[in-house]
Amino acid sequence: MKPIKQYAYLFDTTRCIDCRACMIACTVENQVPMNDSYIWVAGKDVIGEYPNLKRATMPYHCMHCLEPSCASACIVGAWQKREDGPVVYDDTKCIGCRYCMNACPFDVPHFEWDKGIAGGALITKCQMCKQRLEVGQEPACVQTCPTGALTFGERQELIAEAHKRINTHPTRYINHVYGETENGGTSYLILSHVPFKELGLPEIAPTPVNAVSETVMSGTLPFAFTWGAVLTGVALLVRLRNRGKEIAAAEVIETEKSTEETK
Amino acid sequence: MTNTLSRRDFLKLSGAAALGGFIPPQAAHAAHKAGQINAKGEGYISTLCEMCVWRCGVLAKVKEGRVVKLEGNPEHAHARGNLCPRGQAGVMTTYDPDRVLTPLIRVGKRGEGKFRKASWEEALDLVAENMLSIKQKYGAEAMVFSSTHNLSQVQFENLLQAFGSPNYGTQRSLCFNAMIVSNLMTYGMEEPARDYSQVKYIILTGRNLAEAISNSETGDLIQAIDRGAKMIYLDPRHTKTAGKAAEWLAIRPGTDLAFHLALINVIVTEKLYNQNFVSQYTTGFDELANSVRAYTPEWAATLTEIPAETIRRIAHEFSAAGSYALAHNGWRTSNFVNSFQTERAITILNALVGNWGTMMLAGAGEESGALGKPPQPAYPRVAATRLDGVPWKYPFVPLKIGVFQQLRDSILSEEPYAAHGWFTSRQNPVLSLPDRQRTLQAFAKMDFVVTVDIIMNDTAWFSDVVLPEASYLERFDPLAMLGNRIFIRQPVIEPQGEARSALWIYKQLGQRLGISDFFQYKDEEDYLRQQLAPTRVSLEELRASGYADMSQTKKSEANKAPHWNTPSGKIEIKSALLAKAGYAALPAWEEPLAPRGGQFYLLTGKGARQTQFGTQNNKLLHKYEDEQRLWMNAKTAASLGLKDNDLVEVKSEVGKVYVKLEATQAIRPDCVYLMPGFGHISKGLTTAYGLGASDSDLHITYTDPVSGSQALSQTFVTVKKVERS
Amino acid sequence: MKMYIALNPRLRLTPLVWVLLTLMSVGFVVAMIRYVNGIGAISNLTNAYSWGFWISFDLYTGVAIGSGAFIMASIVYIFDLKEFRPLLRSAVLTGFIGYIMVIIALLVDLGRPERIWHMMIYQNHTSILLEIGICVMSYTAVLAIEFAPVVFEGIKWQKFAQLIHRFIMPFVILGVVLSTLHQSSLGSLQLIQPTKLHPLWWTPLLPLMFFSSAVCIGLAMIIFESSLSSRAFGRGLETHLLEKLAKALPIALGIYLILKFGDLAFSGDFQYLFTSGTMSWLFWGEIIIGVLIPLFMFLFKRVRQSPSGLLFGAVTLLLGMILNRFNVSWFAISRSTDIVYFPSWMEVSISAAIFAAGILAFGLAARYLPLFEHEES
Repeated sequence: MKPIKQYAYLFDTTRCIDCRACMIACTVENQVPMNDSYIWVAGKDVIGEYPNLKRATMPYHCMHCLEPSCASACIVGAWQKREDGPVVYDDTKCIGCRYCMNACPFDVPHFEWDKGIAGGALITKCQMCKQRLEVGQEPACVQTCPTGALTFGERQELIAEAHKRINTHPTRYINHVYGETENGGTSYLILSHVPFKELGLPEIAPTPVNAVSETVMSGTLPFAFTWGAVLTGVALLVRLRNRGKEIAAAEVIETEKSTEETK
Repeated sequence: MTNTLSRRDFLKLSGAAALGGFIPPQAAHAAHKAGQINAKGEGYISTLCEMCVWRCGVLAKVKEGRVVKLEGNPEHAHARGNLCPRGQAGVMTTYDPDRVLTPLIRVGKRGEGKFRKASWEEALDLVAENMLSIKQKYGAEAMVFSSTHNLSQVQFENLLQAFGSPNYGTQRSLCFNAMIVSNLMTYGMEEPARDYSQVKYIILTGRNLAEAISNSETGDLIQAIDRGAKMIYLDPRHTKTAGKAAEWLAIRPGTDLAFHLALINVIVTEKLYNQNFVSQYTTGFDELANSVRAYTPEWAATLTEIPAETIRRIAHEFSAAGSYALAHNGWRTSNFVNSFQTERAITILNALVGNWGTMMLAGAGEESGALGKPPQPAYPRVAATRLDGVPWKYPFVPLKIGVFQQLRDSILSEEPYAAHGWFTSRQNPVLSLPDRQRTLQAFAKMDFVVTVDIIMNDTAWFSDVVLPEASYLERFDPLAMLGNRIFIRQPVIEPQGEARSALWIYKQLGQRLGISDFFQYKDEEDYLRQQLAPTRVSLEELRASGYADMSQTKKSEANKAPHWNTPSGKIEIKSALLAKAGYAALPAWEEPLAPRGGQFYLLTGKGARQTQFGTQNNKLLHKYEDEQRLWMNAKTAASLGLKDNDLVEVKSEVGKVYVKLEATQAIRPDCVYLMPGFGHISKGLTTAYGLGASDSDLHITYTDPVSGSQALSQTFVTVKKVERS
Repeated sequence: MKMYIALNPRLRLTPLVWVLLTLMSVGFVVAMIRYVNGIGAISNLTNAYSWGFWISFDLYTGVAIGSGAFIMASIVYIFDLKEFRPLLRSAVLTGFIGYIMVIIALLVDLGRPERIWHMMIYQNHTSILLEIGICVMSYTAVLAIEFAPVVFEGIKWQKFAQLIHRFIMPFVILGVVLSTLHQSSLGSLQLIQPTKLHPLWWTPLLPLMFFSSAVCIGLAMIIFESSLSSRAFGRGLETHLLEKLAKALPIALGIYLILKFGDLAFSGDFQYLFTSGTMSWLFWGEIIIGVLIPLFMFLFKRVRQSPSGLLFGAVTLLLGMILNRFNVSWFAISRSTDIVYFPSWMEVSISAAIFAAGILAFGLAARYLPLFEHEES
């Protein structure tokens, strides 16, 4: 594969048969332990009542957001959105606080609950097979998919392809490419023939979820200095006033004393 | 509480004696010479998957003597660069901690699982001794051989034929006899190929392609639907394939035949068939027109529970697509005794719309005619009849396919004679044959049981000697052809422990059985060289690239007029051979058995992460597999007072099992479904033992007399909640 | 310089001390298991519930109840209301012990506690948690400095005590600023969960809500801690001082109430008030118990002047506000699973051990240090 601008996945539910080859390929490629997985099925699969049924599933994994909340939230900056697409992890920095797990609107990151101090408990998630990207290979999940449900490429091109599919088959898909704008845009784009929440995908506005948080955080230092100045000011004013009162009270006593003495 | 058992580093397992980086192992050495592996010991080696019979080409990534990843070979037409979930999980089959890595000889009672390790010498000598003793006392025919389709099958058949036994059991009668025999009668070939590239309309009768995955065919189907092809799906269950269908028809089990006969009726009556094609290339049309007169959609509607208008409309739509319509012939067609008639009806449907050459093509079988083989003398004449009734009871069943369940039953009845030994290779008859109790009884009758397997599967568990085969990633097998290409299966890592290839095992046995003339190859590589002798391909080239293209001998065929290997040379709507034998020459309605009140049809089927009875111990597949539970329609369950996850007793005439219930919308109210492959009884399968229940405990043996096909869905069961004491 | 410590034999071997020591021992053992076998070995935390009892109780609640220190420091030092001095030292100690407890809890809850210092060298400046981390660390140091004079007086190093006392003001200002920041930031932590935290709680004003409620909690904590100490150590209750603090509470609570409901109205979230099932119950629970009841109670002079009225009002407020902290950090967050989390006894035992240690520390300080005296100005 030639080096290209920004990688993304396109997933099409109409092609997915829930075989889970992607999950097994990922587990083998990334040597994921038996009690963890970077990809999983999130929806309920069977929709409707007998005999009017539909099926839809999706291999759920990191969305590789353009504005990742994990990277915004991480106290030590262990998460980074790379220019070429993946949200990657620096496991030398992580302190295991798990704020990223709370911050992620897709509930993606997992934690190594079974590792003690010696083992070094870390956060785990899909990193777009960055080791494969380096040698010009697609992520393992995409590479193995027997039906072409998962494809990979440049983000804008995939968005165009997704819209093309919607236009070519107007009654087939929900008229929306999930991930085009959600959370400020993600690098995991989804076409679906059922409402996205049936796949386990949350409803998220185009504004990144970290927007308010980052705004507030950027105001911290200015606020701190301002508040410190205000408090100092108040303390000084209060003391000045109290001092003034003391002086006034002392003068009154002095006056009374001298009045006494002159009598 | 999260599980504290740390199952990390699953690739670093016991028994994996990977050599260090300093001394490159043999396998890597050869590959390195061929340019596959770099000096660091990393690279890709081309081989073939064995996780199912689709046998995709695999590129195995090796690193320091271990296989670390498997990927589909883009040059293999079945893989096209992809692998299904089982293919991806192949590393775990090779590194399964329950691998049998030394020959084992039983010390306890049969079925106790007590074995002692033995050397190959001792084990092979013991096997040969027993086989020869049986041959001497009872005749070679008293030794039964069974194996499931695999690349070394040719040498397995060589072994049994050289030994002189006619008794050969394969899994086929449990699977696709109905389809094969029907194709033979109609087209004169076992299986035509299907081309989805331009299909417009597909009828799938069962054939759950989305779950019974055949890598490239499944991909083709999905891509066809993606392009706009309409797919109609008949199945009492709403499977993942149903999820891709334009229409799911929840047909009553056993009545597919009625549906297809009605389709034929409409197409014939309303003259929607391809007149040109029918008159030129088929025989028996007029008789067909006569015989289907009664099979109206209205008639079929009462039987199938599908509305007559639907049947009529589908007939119109199907025929409107003309030669771009495809009625899939099915794969596992071992459902009802009338499945053979259903298969005949389907083949005729295809003939009526004239889709030969567009949708259906001459089968690209596994002809290795272009390849050579080691010289050998003629086989000894076998006088004894086969225990499985071929051909004396089942005249239409090919010898290579047989009727496996009949073989087992004849062992029990000792008619026409008793068997005394059973040799199994790459097969698990204890779990695959219907009515497991009877199978175990049959094994119990044996004087000697030997099994070749890579893991302590149930049949191995009940054996006297277990011979460890190297897994598919660790061995050479005879070359395979796909279309015009030769593909090689070669070791990507050194075999672990003492495991050896089947080619080596059979040759060793051959030498001890006095039939070494039939195994004239020095070793695996020599065998392959002899296979390659007539070609201009060297073994080294083949190992490096993984495949070699043969000359285009098939091209000329495409220009010839279509021809079928039938008595008439045409597609036989009316089968001359069937007529001659006194069977129905045209597809005719046969009323299937039906459950009585309170009973359910027990359905069977496949799952994407299982291959029959051999994959359930694979930890990777197990990790991503849904729990095996008995499917029951949610409303039906509620009416019986059953809740999701209740433990239930499932009982048939021949056995009972206990399993959890899954209350689902995705099944007819009169059916229950249990995924096969579970309920292993071998304690040597530490992951699979105790997991789920076996449907073979429940299955009653029914054999279709024409095709020898087992009717797996004719078993009916009652379901009761288990009261906890 | 001689160190003088009087060992009071009355402290030893009371049943309460035995209980506290037992709790601490059990927690210690459980913590050791955690360090060897991982958090999963002792807790019911899962990927869907990665923060649970420890974060809600030890972190959120722990930090909230340490707010008495900065309130008291503001009252005495910034507003120069010297009459409140008697309450200052124990408030600062409560805060100091409280923050130490938070840090200890973090050393158990963090996946890599041995890397806790990473926040000093790897800093992501968009992370609210970084701000909390730095502030808590710094503020604990400030509290140590604010409390040091008491220790120095206790061991009779008067000169050191006086030295700190002379330069206390900058530390007080710093302390109040740091407190404001991290009390509000605990609310800000949830700003990044607009889709997961229920609309009855999520608002861009979360930091303001948390600060405003921290002021109320701080006032209530001073009342609560004074009431308990007076009972435990047989001292008189400074009811006249507490009455004044209690008088401020209806105003503080009122401001909080206006902020809360004003924000809900502005965001159009009134629709959720009664229609959200369990969430509605939890919301009204915290409002009624934590805001309305104490607000109403402390309007009455009779209540403000009665020791039991003061205690009851404070406890009610604290319970309601603790419920608020639990709601924001745990109960009101939507999860990707139907399986409900409940802490294991081992999880609770860690928190109980830390809490017991805190009580024990406070008791020791009360016995051996001049906690209830105050320096003359």
